Amino acid sequence: MSPAWYERDERFIPARHQPALLMDLALSREVDSHALLRGTRLFLEDVLKAPLDLSPEQFLRLIANAQDCLDAPDTAFLLGQQLLPGHYGPASQALEHAANLGQALDILVGERQVLSPLLVPRLKLDGEHAYLYWLDPWGSGEARRFLVEMSQCAVQSMSRWLSGERLPWRFLFSHERPEHLEQYQAHLGMALHFGCRIDVMVLPREHLLRPWPRASATVCQAALAEGRRERTLAGREHGLLDRVEELCAARLRAMPDLDSLAAELALSPATLKRKLKKHGSSYQALQDGARLHAALYLVWARGYDNEAVAERLAFHDAPNFRRAFRRWTGLVPSVLRGWLEA
Amino acid sequence: MPHALTRLAREHGQKLLGLFLPSQLVLLACLAQGQLKPAAEWVWIDILGEGGTALFILIWLGFIVISRPAGRITNLLVLGLSGVFLSMWVDTLDEFIRLPATARWDQWLESGLMPLGFVLLTWGLHGWQQEQRSLMRQLAKRERLFRDHRLYDKLLPLCGAAYLREQLRLELGTRDERQPVFSVLMLDLDEFADLNRRHGRAEGDRVLEAVAQILVLNLRHGDLLCRLAGDRFVALLPRTGETQAQGLAQELCAALACYAHKTAPAGERLHLSSSAAVVMCEAQDTPEGLLDRLTRRLLAAKERKPPLRRAS
Repeated sequence: MSPAWYERDERFIPARHQPALLMDLALSREVDSHALLRGTRLFLEDVLKAPLDLSPEQFLRLIANAQDCLDAPDTAFLLGQQLLPGHYGPASQALEHAANLGQALDILVGERQVLSPLLVPRLKLDGEHAYLYWLDPWGSGEARRFLVEMSQCAVQSMSRWLSGERLPWRFLFSHERPEHLEQYQAHLGMALHFGCRIDVMVLPREHLLRPWPRASATVCQAALAEGRRERTLAGREHGLLDRVEELCAARLRAMPDLDSLAAELALSPATLKRKLKKHGSSYQALQDGARLHAALYLVWARGYDNEAVAERLAFHDAPNFRRAFRRWTGLVPSVLRGWLEA
Repeated sequence: MPHALTRLAREHGQKLLGLFLPSQLVLLACLAQGQLKPAAEWVWIDILGEGGTALFILIWLGFIVISRPAGRITNLLVLGLSGVFLSMWVDTLDEFIRLPATARWDQWLESGLMPLGFVLLTWGLHGWQQEQRSLMRQLAKRERLFRDHRLYDKLLPLCGAAYLREQLRLELGTRDERQPVFSVLMLDLDEFADLNRRHGRAEGDRVLEAVAQILVLNLRHGDLLCRLAGDRFVALLPRTGETQAQGLAQELCAALACYAHKTAPAGERLHLSSSAAVVMCEAQDTPEGLLDRLTRRLLAAKERKPPLRRAS
């Protein structure tokens, strides 16, 4: 049986990791520490004195406070540039000494609980491209855009720093074109697409295997082993939604129903429903999300027509798929077909 | 907040004491000489009117001392407002305390301080206006005739992207064939993200502050410099053709290349290299279209530079 999971009010994010960077940024811009920590049930003295963990809920509140206090559109990008490889113990060491971008992205996904605790990265590879897409496992609500800006910027900045070269990333965002587009352009470049119904960054696959100057296989492997050992000691990893989404995405053609999903997690269906609601989600939303992501990939990246997608995802027929897609995105699939190549 | 209070006490303590003591003296003198009126004789409309005026003058005084540094003009403003306040204070006390008819000093205070206060206040406001004009001269390359403090950049003493777009919209909106062309220049630092990584964000902030100063110094009177995002700056160049704008861009890059930044504690020398691009406005341009064209040119200029592969 796999280890248990975390929920949004459980404390597992060390304050000295990402929260400390955010606090540093805010304090250096003369934000009052009380205003910054309002409603988080944290005090600056405690954070400085002893090892302290935050729950996702507290960290999200901290981010909302920082956004209010700083009131500057570049906050997410400034923070993003500092996040990776980071100073988060073995996971950061492994990243820093990864052999190439491909391995670094694998580490990012494997060690996501430490490296990206608020947004889950997932990696998809095909013949031409690597797709790194982001899921919201805590029901972050309004903070989501901030988290996506921050996370995509973090990966771009890390790959630039560790590879020593500028990589042709393309960025897709689920939100609409923002007011502060110049921040995106200055920090991420011009290959930006908005209103995409998914947050994903795309890179031609040949860049994944280019060797990185700091690579060290031994340091990397040893650090990864150490990270695994720490997680085993803790006895659990990742968030509940992360786990459920993974179970759904693995069985796209025959989604487990709520009862069997609950049984798999050793919960009663009612408890599972309640827990999903607590994270701002539902069984239906997770199932739709997993199928939408698969459908977007097939339509955009592979250029499949409706029949082929319907067949792949076990829809009754093409019109059925078309209707579902319309319900999820407000668009018809043909609008999006093939534009990634354009 | 405590820091702000100590600043207030240090800079303005004497003046505030000079307001507090006389008002207490007047109160004591009234109480010593006069009699309290019974509540039935209170005229509420007068109490509200006179007391309310005194209170608002205190609030104005508060704004003045909080927002202004100590100096001649601040002294005049505070003295003037204090005079007006004392006059209203005596007036308010009248409503509660009846003085004997022989005591004339309260009328002297009431009618004498008010005009004196107004004279000082007017003198102070005139000085403020002069001061503002000299400040505007200093700010001329950082903002144009229209001011909105909400559009200032949070880090640098420049206006941000929203202000720039507003100015571009105005400039494009009022154009017709007879008017001279204008150009827009975009400049950003090469490898600024690396500088942040290596030397820390605080050092990066200091570099940006220095860069902003250097750019302002190298622009002409009438040009407007804004910070677009990150290390990317945009200058609006009125009455400027493309060739002239390109000359300016080269001057700005050269000025930055000559600058040797010193890091804060260690004094390590950092050299900055930058890229710039210009566009001239076209008849059908929108602010967004113009900035988009400019950004693409800037990136193309960066592409042409040899890649700086970092030694690790």
